[in-house]
Amino acid sequence: MSNNRPRSSGQTQKSNASAQQPNAAATKKSASSQRFAERQAAKQQAAREERRGRTRTYGIVTIALVVLVVAVLVIVKVAGGGGSSGVVDVPSPPAGTPIPAVTLAKLQSVPVSTLTAAPTGGILTTPQSVNNPALTADGKPELLYIGAEYCPHCAAERWPLYIALSKFGTFKPQPGRIHSANEDGDVPTLTFYGTTYTSPYFTFTPVEVYTNRPAGNGYAILQAPTQAQLTLWENTNGGEFPFVDFGGKQVLPSAQYSFADLQNLPFSAVAAQVGNNSTSIGADIDASAAQLITTICGSLSKHQPAAVCSAVHSG
Amino acid sequence: MPRWPGLVGTVLSVLGLGVAGYLTYEHFTSSSTLACSDNGVVNCLKVTTSSYSEVAGVPVAVLGLVFFAVMLVLQLPPMWRRPEPAVRWGRLAWAVVGLGTVLYLLFAELFEIDAICLWCTAVHVLTLVLFGTTVFATSSYPAPVAVDA
Repeated sequence: MSNNRPRSSGQTQKSNASAQQPNAAATKKSASSQRFAERQAAKQQAAREERRGRTRTYGIVTIALVVLVVAVLVIVKVAGGGGSSGVVDVPSPPAGTPIPAVTLAKLQSVPVSTLTAAPTGGILTTPQSVNNPALTADGKPELLYIGAEYCPHCAAERWPLYIALSKFGTFKPQPGRIHSANEDGDVPTLTFYGTTYTSPYFTFTPVEVYTNRPAGNGYAILQAPTQAQLTLWENTNGGEFPFVDFGGKQVLPSAQYSFADLQNLPFSAVAAQVGNNSTSIGADIDASAAQLITTICGSLSKHQPAAVCSAVHSG
Repeated sequence: MPRWPGLVGTVLSVLGLGVAGYLTYEHFTSSSTLACSDNGVVNCLKVTTSSYSEVAGVPVAVLGLVFFAVMLVLQLPPMWRRPEPAVRWGRLAWAVVGLGTVLYLLFAELFEIDAICLWCTAVHVLTLVLFGTTVFATSSYPAPVAVDA
């Protein structure tokens, strides 16, 4: 027994040693694979960090690009590029910018009953009777309008004039959209320059004497009135804008209402109020148009068309 | 994920919601009480009553209101902690939508309407800053990891 113990002990140690050999190998292998796993994890972490850094760079570059685009837009504007009527006085094209058909259709179709129902509190001037020789053109009574594209009073007057004229005939091409000069109210309006108006009742002769483009101490000339027109205009209202002569029977020596409310407004904002008598702009334009229709019926169209003229008289 | 993107985004969205709400109110009340200068380059009335104030008949102010309402939800701190890619990318996409709209409206104000509306500019700045913080946070911090129950 006693001999067995050391032997047994030696055998145990031997067997332990032989048993530990695979464990050590396993441990060594495990440590190795752990180091490998750690190295892999570190690599993956580094790759993740690198990817994140790259993504962050993309993000910062994107933000910088957006800031750059906004800055360029503002700089181009401040430098005066791209057309500005807020800072630099940039004129409209003489024939104007095309007006959407739906807007024109709305202006043309305001019922006469709505126009006649408009409050007249904002009306400053009404057509006045005169004893001038009959004004005719092309064998018909003539409606002569003399204005200027820079003129804010003319800008205000063209709105009711277009509405009224649309009840008696048609424009081709339709008027474009302009604004009075920036230094003169920047009033949105239409222009009769470059248009032709056809009516079975009378001839409409528009003369836009100046553009809204500054030139020298005034504005660039657009259309020169004939000598007869000039004489009539100067003798009747001293050559002031606007001037409207209804066949020599009546004249409008100045705009019917104040342009003050229309200053700086976009064209669409004014157009939206036409036919709406609850706003001052809508009421002024509508009431002015009703007066013009009444005058045209009495002076130029012999109360035709009946549907229009009877409506305005009954109103 | 740090807390600042959610906090900053929420505050900006609430501010945007307030300004867009004011502009919406003014849009439907004739804009006559709009507290803003109305002469020269700065002219809120000219901008808010222009043809650019509506898209397909829908007031731009209302679109702004919807934008900030959705953005507020997406920017809440708990939403920044959500691991779903749909939330992360949805928030980023919504910020890009806002950016595109702002650039379009800024162009319209500067080159088409020729006037600047200060309230609209406030909305534009808020949208641009929201875009910046959203892009920076999304690109800088990894998506939160989903925790299994």
